[in-house]
Amino acid sequence: MIPETLKISLEARVASAITAREAAVDVMKELQAHYGWLTDEAVEEAATLLGLSPLQVEELATFYEMIYRRPVGKKVIHVCDSISCWCADCDKIIQYLKDKLGVGLGGTTADGMFTLIPCCCMGMCGDSPAMSVGGTPYGRLTTELVDEILEAERHKA
Amino acid sequence: MPKLIIDDIPVEVAPGTSVLEAARSVGITIPHFCYHPALAIAAACRLCAVKLLDGPVKGIQMSCALPAQDGMVVSTTDPEALKMRSLVIEWLMLNHPHDCPVCDEGGECLLQDFTIAGGHSRRRYQGKKRTFQNQYLGEGIHHEMNRCIECYRCVRFYQDYAGGTDFGVMGSAGRVYFGRFQEGALESPFSGNLVDICPTGVFTDKTGRFRARYWDYQFAPSICQHCSVGCNTSPQNFERETIKIVGRRNDQVNGWFICDRARFDKTYLNDPQRPREPRLDGATCGYDVAVDAAAKSIREFVRQHGADKLAFVGSTRLSLEGMILLAQLADAAGGARICYFGDAGQQQGSMAAAKLLNEENTAYVKDIEQAQWVSLHALDLMEEGPMLALAVRKAFLAGAQIFLVAAEALPARDVLPFKYTSVETLNQVPFEGGGKGVIICGAGSKDPDLLAEMASSGAKLVMLQPGPNGFAAALLAQEHGAAPLKELVAARQVRGVVCFEADVPEVLLADVEVLANADWRREAVTDTSPIFLPTTTWVESDGTAINFEGRAQRFQRTRIAGLPLKGLDPKYYGSATEAVSLHPPRVHRKEVPGGAERDAWRVMAQLIERLGGEPIEPLSGKWSSLKSLDPEGEGVRIFEIGLGE
Repeated sequence: MIPETLKISLEARVASAITAREAAVDVMKELQAHYGWLTDEAVEEAATLLGLSPLQVEELATFYEMIYRRPVGKKVIHVCDSISCWCADCDKIIQYLKDKLGVGLGGTTADGMFTLIPCCCMGMCGDSPAMSVGGTPYGRLTTELVDEILEAERHKA
Repeated sequence: MPKLIIDDIPVEVAPGTSVLEAARSVGITIPHFCYHPALAIAAACRLCAVKLLDGPVKGIQMSCALPAQDGMVVSTTDPEALKMRSLVIEWLMLNHPHDCPVCDEGGECLLQDFTIAGGHSRRRYQGKKRTFQNQYLGEGIHHEMNRCIECYRCVRFYQDYAGGTDFGVMGSAGRVYFGRFQEGALESPFSGNLVDICPTGVFTDKTGRFRARYWDYQFAPSICQHCSVGCNTSPQNFERETIKIVGRRNDQVNGWFICDRARFDKTYLNDPQRPREPRLDGATCGYDVAVDAAAKSIREFVRQHGADKLAFVGSTRLSLEGMILLAQLADAAGGARICYFGDAGQQQGSMAAAKLLNEENTAYVKDIEQAQWVSLHALDLMEEGPMLALAVRKAFLAGAQIFLVAAEALPARDVLPFKYTSVETLNQVPFEGGGKGVIICGAGSKDPDLLAEMASSGAKLVMLQPGPNGFAAALLAQEHGAAPLKELVAARQVRGVVCFEADVPEVLLADVEVLANADWRREAVTDTSPIFLPTTTWVESDGTAINFEGRAQRFQRTRIAGLPLKGLDPKYYGSATEAVSLHPPRVHRKEVPGGAERDAWRVMAQLIERLGGEPIEPLSGKWSSLKSLDPEGEGVRIFEIGLGE
């Protein structure tokens, strides 16, 4: 169940869209922020708000990699494995992240802090290899820089 | 009109035709998966590559998404195009499980055909294949997602064409999954078409799984007898059992698709409990003995009570042939009465519709699809003519306004695949330029004045008949002055009935004597009648049906009558006295077990002869032009051949 205030603000967001479907991503992001991930319940609530079927919301939710349909840690690390980052040896960075966090791709650390997910380009090819942590982008990664970033993100709100 | 050259063949096609369709028009099939004539172009599978040697576009192109243009020189056999197609098919096959021996689609699989045609015959990929969890999609359809090649045909049909919202495509890239949000039965009443439209075995017909292969089936062109739309089908039979029913293309009626009732509602055809033996006074007997007895009983009754106390009762389930001969039979019995309808309201509405409709005002399916407005008058469309809902949806998507008049009288269970405005009376429908509007109503039980009012609106008309062959019943009722049975019985004008596939209500049976009953299913009258003559269903008989728009269509016998071999009673397996082992019959017999049934009109013809009449060819006289009707054609509207009112 979402609080009434959130519901009202989302209804207003949907009402201001030309087609309800166009507001779908915003609604899903808001619900994700509320629950921590997009739960089955949230999919159904989004469907009601948007006048779509749960399946139609699911189609969108599963298409976008930043909508999480499974529980994730407090901060999600999207590490790019696309071609520019691959040329800049992202494989090393990914392996380092796996080892340091003690999880595989898709895994969440035991303390529930980080979830590690590969992503396919975030438009930072000029600063490859790149990743984002909890929505903050970082480029020109080295193993040392990864250490610093994770340490800083761990203590940042 | 663009003129182009495809494989050295000059082709001229209508503007907007794709190169793939242009090639098809001269008999060249370019391999394809995502392309389907009824669906929007997706260009998702990349298999239909051709090489353009000259003209406005050059090089490798996807022929399904490329409109034919003047001066194009297309090669479907160019080595570069062949190479492209063989690599595409190899790539599409990477994750395919190669489980053809245990797949129900095997033998009728587009993927098999085009894998071979595309030149991919040896697997090089040695890696792991992606696999999925299947979902339960209800009792009609089996889901096997691993076989998917991501052509998107299913979702384009289900959501775009049929308006369903509970099935779709999820995920992205290599994780694309076609299914539901949660497991459960598919909600769309057109979901069964996924079976026909999937080019491989992701969706197979659960009701006929693992029974037979394509080459085992016996089939013939047939016409669905569930409502008066008359969709074209192809029942697939194996060992006297209707295993599956698939849609058959007729652009004038159902397009490519059929509804789930047409596809899945078939258990009654195979039912071992169907009455299949002729019976006389409760005991089985030979067919001719039963016919003789019926003739004798009719003669006796007519001598005692007079022919006008006797009624020959048919129904809208009879074929046109049966309806015609029913009238001849009544004549042969000395001028007995005829009933095609039980209920007065049904007959009145049905006849009024047949009378009002003519070539000018009767809507073609195309007229519905292109209408500017459509008005559904107190009509349960999903019950009375589900396939028309898809035609209305096409109009709706093209911007037509849809009105539902007097909708409160309808059950709310059905969700129509389009948005509509509810209004109380027909007057509230804004008729702007009536010529581009269509009124759809059910004719049965409608006031003839109301139907006439609709006809005078200038809109095109769809008047759905009560029962599959209602239009023919109305024409013959008009011609022979048939009366509804209830009326005749209530007025005590009739004391005896002979029934042919008639659905006589139980309450009437107290007031009339049933002399004989011919039917393929058990009705209340079956147990009352001293003589029972089993008849064939529409899958086991030849005949003609006239649909709601007066379109006469021929259906053919798709299999012989008789008990399905599967589950056959052990008594047929061998000797009646010796112990039976469950093995197919070792004793040879000339008769098919339970195969005594005859077509209703043939039984009538035999009775006519027994009663001293001349043997008659049903489609003679004014009906003779229907004799040459092509079962694989589009049928013919009776107005065109001067048979309407």
